Amino acid sequence: MSNSKLRLFVFELVSVSLVSLGFMQIAHAGMVDTQSLIEQEASSERLAKIESLLARQDVARQLVALGVDPADVQQRVLYLSDAEIASFEQRLDTQIAGGSAVGVIGTVFLVLLILELVGVTDIFKKI
Amino acid sequence: MNASSRASIALALFCFALLSACVTSRLPAVDVATVGSAAELSSTTFYPQEQFQCGPAALLTVLTSSGIETDMDSMVKQVYVPGRQGSLQVEMLAASRAAGRIPYPIDREFGALVAELRAGRPVLVLQNLGTSWFPRWHYAVVIGFDAKREQLTLRSGVDRRRLTRLRTFLHTWRRGDYWGFVVLPANEVPEQVDTARWLAAVAAFEQAGATDAAKLAWVNAVARWPDSAVARFGLANNNFMQGNWQAAESVYRELLMRQPQLAIARNNLALALLRQRRFVEAEQEAQRALVDLDDNSPMHAELANTLSEIRESSANGQSRSGRPSSTNR
Repeated sequence: MSNSKLRLFVFELVSVSLVSLGFMQIAHAGMVDTQSLIEQEASSERLAKIESLLARQDVARQLVALGVDPADVQQRVLYLSDAEIASFEQRLDTQIAGGSAVGVIGTVFLVLLILELVGVTDIFKKI
Repeated sequence: MNASSRASIALALFCFALLSACVTSRLPAVDVATVGSAAELSSTTFYPQEQFQCGPAALLTVLTSSGIETDMDSMVKQVYVPGRQGSLQVEMLAASRAAGRIPYPIDREFGALVAELRAGRPVLVLQNLGTSWFPRWHYAVVIGFDAKREQLTLRSGVDRRRLTRLRTFLHTWRRGDYWGFVVLPANEVPEQVDTARWLAAVAAFEQAGATDAAKLAWVNAVARWPDSAVARFGLANNNFMQGNWQAAESVYRELLMRQPQLAIARNNLALALLRQRRFVEAEQEAQRALVDLDDNSPMHAELANTLSEIRESSANGQSRSGRPSSTNR
């Protein structure tokens, strides 16, 4: 089994427990939760619980595709709020990912150097 | 004029055009005198980042400073995305909740950042150290601001004490859309606080499983914002989730005294009564809730469910009325 197939397999296993954990969160059937009132006051679209679960799984799947260990993904998506999950309409691979490694070449370097000297950028640590 | 000098002139013109574009896009006016200084939080532990892992390092810095014991490996497992060689903003918030802290995104202005520093909280910020066309996204932790020198101190990357001029910081922070957050234990409230955003932060923390810890935050919120429906609803729901039916009932009632038309609170009140096996009252409240609900509210199905659940339990309860009611569930 190739590495990516293995990941997928493990992930499908994890998905099952993810769904069951998700339902633990809504064990108080019938009680309208606090986030619903917040969303109502903000007149934002309310994500039905089941849609939110599916969206959560979708985010989890995208994270695994981006190399996150399937064993960690389950917990990671559970701690996201409904609103944050909804913000992933925009695909994960286009969201900002802060990581900052600096390697600059050629003309770009010259331009950046000038920008740096006038305090617009802050790339070169030792300047 | 030879080719290479022409090229240099072209390059110089290009740089000039670029610079003027940058300079003319206004930075927000920061009144340094009003904002004031914030003493450096020098006891903030420094965790130098491994390559690409400024996210885990910055998060570890603010969590440790807030009294959480954790480590770099655990942070990497929770926020690093290998395929993006970086960390996502929402995951930084989620991981703070997992560690038992409430993440609160601060107002998108410099004064809010300094206010949190003065309250003793280092602020995790997103910067773009490069430009819009050559982005270098970076997470760092601001730990101090010297208003006289107009200079910030940060724990950043591999620099334990990185000094950055205010103007440069504002450029890099603006390109990160002025995004930053602080992490708080449930018994604290941000220094410069937006009620709605704070209560949403508490609700998200609670939803992530911290029902017990969140209770204190709700109690404090009701005390501080007695007119906030969300605060009271949150406190009542917290009691409900912990099985404190009577306490939940009384807070729902307080809320409904102030806002009688809030159908979802009445729905939950009906359920709190049902759990106490007070079927008649429960049915009355549920019926009233259905009447009060807006015609186009998405909650109709939920309220109708509540009513039928009450009727069903009531019928079962009465058919078993010969037996002692040993549970209150």
